[in-house]
Amino acid sequence: METAVKRLYEGLFLVDSAIAAADWQLVADTIHRILEKAQAEVVSFRKWDERKLCYDIGKVSRGTYILVYFNCDPQQVHDIERDVQLSETLLRVMILRTDAMTEQDIQKPTPIMVAQELVQADADKDEQDSQDDIDDIDDIDDIDDIDQSGDTDDRIETE
Amino acid sequence: MKMKKNTNVRRKRTLITIREQTQCRFCREGRSYIDYKDVDTLSKLLTNRGKIFSRKRSGNCAGCQRKVKRAIKRARFMALLPYTS
Repeated sequence: METAVKRLYEGLFLVDSAIAAADWQLVADTIHRILEKAQAEVVSFRKWDERKLCYDIGKVSRGTYILVYFNCDPQQVHDIERDVQLSETLLRVMILRTDAMTEQDIQKPTPIMVAQELVQADADKDEQDSQDDIDDIDDIDDIDDIDQSGDTDDRIETE
Repeated sequence: MKMKKNTNVRRKRTLITIREQTQCRFCREGRSYIDYKDVDTLSKLLTNRGKIFSRKRSGNCAGCQRKVKRAIKRARFMALLPYTS
């Protein structure tokens, strides 16, 4: 019995970081072409993370992970996996059904996004600190003015 | 007699402290799905050699231990966690 109903799947593709850095368009095109071939509708496509692999795959030691959510016919999933195995640019793929996942799991920020937010927060904090320092310097100038004015007052009093 | 009383109190205290955590770490958080991409959580359940901690060591319930096992094996395939090191 054939099922015409499409299901939402989560796919994590692994690519060599050297290829991803040199030609990102090639990697994106390869994944899109494989998914199009399987008549899948891409819901979201984003880079998940770039990290050192826990073990070398072939001679590759650093990998870039790409997280894709797509609607697809369940019978086409096997074809996608086979196409990835035959592909020379893609190393591995993990395709899972999203039934057990909650919306929170799906929307969870990727490690790259978290790292970028941290960098942004640090930059904002530094900017805030430098702004505070400038304000402090202004305050010190004001204090000097007050002291000078105080001195003049004293002089007036002594006179 | 006094000595015996003291030991009883100690035993009771240890029993109470053990009983405080009746659920496993994932059940306490109410998580029904353990994500294989959550490497930080999963790496806490591995030894230095990359072996999975037993239920006795990790304190997981049977269901969660199975979910953890599946998640770790998926992460290993994607080279997010080591098979051995």
